[in-house]
Amino acid sequence: MKINLKSPVSTAIAIGVGIIVLAGYFIPSFVNIRFILLRTGLVLAAVALLVGIINLITVHIKKLGADSENSGYSLILVIALLATLIIGIIDMVQTYLVGKPNFQMTSWIFTNIQLPIETSLLAVTAVSLTYAAASILRKRMDLFSIVFFFVVLLVLLGSFSIPPATLPFLHVIRDWILRVPALGGARGLLLGIALGAITTGIRVLMGTDRPYGE
Amino acid sequence: MSATGFTGIVVIVLFVGLMVFFSFINKDRKTYNIRPIPAYDKIIQEINVAVEDGSQLHISLGSGGITGAESAAALAGLGILKQVIEKSSVCDHPPVASTGNPVISILAQDTIKGSSKAISVSDNIENPSGELIGVTPFSYAAGALSTIRNDNVSANIHTGWFGNEITWITTAGERQSSPTIAGTSQLPAQAVIYASASDPLIGEELFAGGAYLGAGKMHQASISAQDVVRWIIIFIILASVLLNILGIDVFIEKILAGSM
Repeated sequence: MKINLKSPVSTAIAIGVGIIVLAGYFIPSFVNIRFILLRTGLVLAAVALLVGIINLITVHIKKLGADSENSGYSLILVIALLATLIIGIIDMVQTYLVGKPNFQMTSWIFTNIQLPIETSLLAVTAVSLTYAAASILRKRMDLFSIVFFFVVLLVLLGSFSIPPATLPFLHVIRDWILRVPALGGARGLLLGIALGAITTGIRVLMGTDRPYGE
Repeated sequence: MSATGFTGIVVIVLFVGLMVFFSFINKDRKTYNIRPIPAYDKIIQEINVAVEDGSQLHISLGSGGITGAESAAALAGLGILKQVIEKSSVCDHPPVASTGNPVISILAQDTIKGSSKAISVSDNIENPSGELIGVTPFSYAAGALSTIRNDNVSANIHTGWFGNEITWITTAGERQSSPTIAGTSQLPAQAVIYASASDPLIGEELFAGGAYLGAGKMHQASISAQDVVRWIIIFIILASVLLNILGIDVFIEKILAGSM
């Protein structure tokens, strides 16, 4: 008879660690053990990053083999990843030989490649957000969408500092929207999210939700 | 123990008590009356479409991990993934899951493996996959675009932790004319989702997935527990407003401070 010990052991660990970490927030004598468990969790998360990168490479190598129009992007990703990895290892060896931190090449990659790419992607996000706001009425022509659209319009107009959008009442309306309905709505949503998050966490602690296999 | 710590324990004990109570009193009930959420109806509808036309669902779990504030959203996303895998077990092409966090990627693969084993998906059927497609929010969003543009993907379900970059993913789904169901716990991203997704999940709706997709009595009980606590909060807010209007709050504060 084959006995599956994985499920009860993983469930017991998840519930036990969860309860101790939770207790650490409320009971001062559990604070130290909570920090030890959290630090262990962070180390394991770093190990998971390695596993994730292996998964990332595997997925894109598979895409390279497939007859796909996106295989070129996968090739670029694999080459960039391996190049960054090799440069990172060289930097680490140099740091070890010199005896002080020396990550010049890695910093160069982040400053001159990663940062400009992420910044330009942020700029594209602004365009994409504008498109999404403009197309909401085409997607759903209901009362809430109309209110959403005109509130966005009013808040944007109230933020401008060039005529003719410098009318004083626009600023007053914008400030009122931000202080009263927007703040109240955001608080209401946050309360709902907090309630949902608490029940999700409790279900994991009770073992009824097991997002770590069966 | 501090007053905050005591309040925290009271809230958690209250929630656990209510969840156990509601799951106990409703254990024999066949039907459960909960308000309709169109996005979850759409998920079930899209699973049926995928079964009929042999297409595939894409579930993206965002770039949140399990060690920060984003963990609840990520766990809720994993719960929805599990239900979708179980319900789409007869699809020719099982769902594809993508994430931008390595820990969630491992958990997604584990969830997929566990759910497939539980519903006895035979080995000759293509296995569902959990892919890590980028380790920063932007690289994840950019990587997810190729999966969304796959002609075989009939619908996209985005549940997890997303920032404003979700606008790329949702607008890409719209351009493909495929339904987009999306929910996150980050407020600015919720506004983006409302504007750009065909079926948005707003506020706590993201965490109610299990109750609407048939994950069990405890999920339904947690919805009832949330409702009870929500009414308590409403009562406290209204009572505070009333006390403030009558000026009694200052009186109580002075009593608590010991100045009277």
